Amino acid sequence: MTGPDDNIPGAPLPRPPEGFAATARRDLRLGVVAGLQTFWDLSKVMIPAYGVTLALERLGVIGSLASVARPLMEALGLPGDAAVPLVVGYVLNIYAAVGSMQALDLTGQQVTVLAIAILIGHNLVVEGAVLHKAGMNGFAFGALRIVAGLAAAVVANLLMGLVG
Amino acid sequence: MTEFLREFASGSFELLLRVFLIVVPIMVALELFEGTRAFRAVVRAWARLVRHVGLDERSAAPTLIGFLFGLAYGGGVIVRDVRRHDLGRRQVFTMSVFLSMVHAIVEDSLIFIALGASIVWVVVYRIVWAALVTLALTALAGIVLRRWRLRGERRGD
Repeated sequence: MTGPDDNIPGAPLPRPPEGFAATARRDLRLGVVAGLQTFWDLSKVMIPAYGVTLALERLGVIGSLASVARPLMEALGLPGDAAVPLVVGYVLNIYAAVGSMQALDLTGQQVTVLAIAILIGHNLVVEGAVLHKAGMNGFAFGALRIVAGLAAAVVANLLMGLVG
Repeated sequence: MTEFLREFASGSFELLLRVFLIVVPIMVALELFEGTRAFRAVVRAWARLVRHVGLDERSAAPTLIGFLFGLAYGGGVIVRDVRRHDLGRRQVFTMSVFLSMVHAIVEDSLIFIALGASIVWVVVYRIVWAALVTLALTALAGIVLRRWRLRGERRGD
C-alpha cells in the first residue's frame, strides 16, 4: 500500500487507494506523519526562542524597554504604566500581558486600545521563529508587528474619540 | 541559575505538550477531511474572501488554520505545504503579513473581551486593519521587486 519513499519531504503523494477504509487508514497515517513532522519543525524553533524569551525577562529587558516605550503611551491616550503590559506582551505572550494589565486602572476605551496593540504584536520571539521557519525574516516581521500594532492603536483611539 | 533551568524545563514541556495536542489533531483532521466536499466548500468560501488580499486557493487552507487557531499552527501548515507543493514565496509573504496581523481570532480576542475590550474593535477593526496592511505591503513589495528587475535589465544582466 505504501512505497518506501513517501516520507521524503517534497515527494509526490502516493496514488489514493480504493475503498473508504483504505483511504481513511492512509489519511490517518499521513496525518500522523505530517503532525509529528510539523510538531518537530515547530519544536526546533520554538524551544530555543522560548529560552531566549525567558533570558530576556530575567535580564530585566522588559523593564528597560518599558521605560523607553513610556512616552509613546501618551499618543495612545494611555497612562505611562501601560508600557509594561505592552512590552510584556511583545517579549512573552498575551496571557502574561493580560496578567500585568490587571494591575492597571484603565477605562473601557483604554483597554480596547491597548488590546489592539497587544493583539497585533505579541510573543514576537517565538512567533518570529515560526515565521523564520516558513522562510520569512523574523526580525522584520517583529518590527512590522510592533509598528503596525501601535499605528492601529493610534488610529483606533482617534476614531473612538470621534465616534464617542 | 538552577531556578532558571527549572522554569525553562517546565515551560518548555508545557509549550511542547500544547503544540503537540493541537498540531497532531489538526494535521490528522486536515488529511482526513481535505478531500471531502464539505471541507472544500468551506475552503472555497474562505478563498473567495481572502482573494481580495491577494491569496490564492492553495494558500486558503493554511491561512484559515492560522486565522482560527494561531500563527504557529498556521505556520506549521504553511511549512508542510511549502514542502509538498511549491507555494510561491510571494504567497508565503502575503500569508505571513496577513497572519502576523490577525490570528487565533477566537482565543486571543476572547481574552481581551473578557477584560472589557470592545468586540467590534478587537475583531472587526483588526480584520479590516490586517487586510489593509496586507494590501499595502504586498503592493509595496511588488513595486520594489519591479524596480529591481528594471534596474537589472538596464544593466543588461
